[in-house]
Amino acid sequence: MSRRITNAALAAALSLVPFAMAGATGLATCDSGSPDTWQPQEKLTAMLKEKGWEIRNVKVDGGCYEVYALDEKKERVEAYFHPVTLERVETASE
Amino acid sequence: MNEPAGPHRSIPVWDVAVRVLHWSLVLTVAAAWLTRHSPGRWHEWLGYATLAIVAARTAWGFIGAGYARFADFIRPVPVTAAYARDVLAHRDARYVGHNPLGGWMVAALLALVVSVGLTGWLYTTDRFWGVPWVEELHETLSDVLFAFVALHIAGVAFTSVRHRENLVAAMLHGRKRADVRDGPQHS
Repeated sequence: MSRRITNAALAAALSLVPFAMAGATGLATCDSGSPDTWQPQEKLTAMLKEKGWEIRNVKVDGGCYEVYALDEKKERVEAYFHPVTLERVETASE
Repeated sequence: MNEPAGPHRSIPVWDVAVRVLHWSLVLTVAAAWLTRHSPGRWHEWLGYATLAIVAARTAWGFIGAGYARFADFIRPVPVTAAYARDVLAHRDARYVGHNPLGGWMVAALLALVVSVGLTGWLYTTDRFWGVPWVEELHETLSDVLFAFVALHIAGVAFTSVRHRENLVAAMLHGRKRADVRDGPQHS
């Protein structure tokens, strides 16, 4: 009896597990091949600092470099760059 | 039983404010989770909505009546520990309002939504935008929130089976079985 209750409670809790799975954000994707061919992250951040950006964080997302920064106008930006060309990549409707 | 209306009499327990705020919070938290990587500002607006709902529920916990009040269901730690031992020993009393563990779960869920909401808001300020530890804290707190949501659902399922009543339905229509053995009840 009490085992059946415990099982029911456990099943309810486990039903939430898929909810906790996460992956790439899908905000942008770059067809960038193997990371060996990428330009170093430091080159991108140096380039952006040169433009007057204040870099807060750089991550890899969907094969792109994803940069959190304040841009030259001190606006908050989350920008994507192609890791081979270091060109800016448009994100989904923003 | 000396209750003339019989054992199947039901009484109003969860008022309209409690029910609407409960399910609004379920919807906004779920929607905030689903929009966590979406472009645009949906996620931020949903975060503000969760904070507004928690603020309203907290106010209602002080100015509302009956089973909605924190004073009704936030019980001293020794009482709660004794209740937990009773659950394990399978001799826990049925509560018409929140049981002692459920009451603390309400408080924990409200506090967690606030902490997730505040760290999320912090991340949108110029000062903390993009700062990795703020993002990680926001994500970790939301993981903890979802772990508590899972525990909450497990507790609701457990108690529903244990006392043979559908607590999810009760949070929808607001009524529960009256039971004279349960001690004092609010009118």
